Amino acid sequence: MNQELEHIFVTQLEENQNIVHKICKLYTNDSDSHNDLFQEITIQLWRAFPKFRGDSKFSTWMYRVALNTAITLYRKSKRRISTQDYETVSFKIKAEEYDDTEEQQLKLMYNAVRELNDIDKALVFLYLEDKSYREISETLGISEVNARVKMNRTKDKLRKILNP
Amino acid sequence: MDELDILKKQWQSREQNLPKLSYNQIYKMLLKKSSSIVKWIFIISVAELLFWISLYFIIPESDLEIMDKMGIGKLILYSDIFHFSIFGIFIYYFYKNFKSIQVTDSVRILMRNILKTRRTVHYFVYYNIGMFIISSLVITIYFYTRSEQLYEIMNFANQGVPQENFATVFIVALIIVAIIVVGLLALFYWFIYGILLRRLKINYKELKKMED
Repeated sequence: MNQELEHIFVTQLEENQNIVHKICKLYTNDSDSHNDLFQEITIQLWRAFPKFRGDSKFSTWMYRVALNTAITLYRKSKRRISTQDYETVSFKIKAEEYDDTEEQQLKLMYNAVRELNDIDKALVFLYLEDKSYREISETLGISEVNARVKMNRTKDKLRKILNP
Repeated sequence: MDELDILKKQWQSREQNLPKLSYNQIYKMLLKKSSSIVKWIFIISVAELLFWISLYFIIPESDLEIMDKMGIGKLILYSDIFHFSIFGIFIYYFYKNFKSIQVTDSVRILMRNILKTRRTVHYFVYYNIGMFIISSLVITIYFYTRSEQLYEIMNFANQGVPQENFATVFIVALIIVAIIVVGLLALFYWFIYGILLRRLKINYKELKKMED
């Protein structure tokens, strides 16, 4: 039974791993921390899995557990402060490949999102993942109205970061 | 906002250079141990509970004898029974709060439950420090008013302790010990807050701000 459960879980996570990677990428600064966080999220998902009833989609359920782990449970390791930011590295390569303004804009925007605080980051992330305000409000535990208000404020914040 | 909508479109269509883990790599992760903040909070909290409870068991017999001779043996016994009932209540609440921490709750509720669990342990520590200060104060004053009797019971004359300064020295020593204990505790809490809870508290405040 346990083996069967493990198999179902790992298969589902393998299929949906992009969600977790995207969260890791937003909340960590180097690939070691990325892997650490991915592992912690996997453990937390696995622990919570027996209670997953399937009344929501596996991916929906994952967003919540993964974000909770990234924002609240994960302890950033002080030993691993890397001066090489892998995001910048990958964008450097990208900038050489494409030089159109859209790509530039995207790069600036992405870096701006990474400058936001943990909560705002979660808000923007869920927005980028095309989640409804209802789902965003339920994941964060705030009212739908406040989620909308906050989203507008966060957009302003991003605008300020982009045009100081 | 234009830029964010562009990012949204790109975000969903692009591959984003994400790593790809195999079935086996993920499977191996299930066998690893968690190093989450909840685990650390649990370990530290249990250590604190045990520390304060064990203090009640390491009082030497000779001290109890002195208390008996000073005529407060019964009082100490009753206060111990009272303490242990309070400990029981704290442990029940700690267990209950800890059990309520669910990673599947919303971010806000999860944070609230973690902070609540920590708060229970803090109250437990405050209770102990408070009781420590009150009972030391009561005993010190009681002993001070009966310093001659105490001097005799503790047999200080044979150890060469002069009687005239005895009461003052006794009180100063008690005050120094109390300051050291409180100082160490403050350091310990600063450490726990700094390392474990700072980020959680900042994030919780951010979320609460949204609801105001």
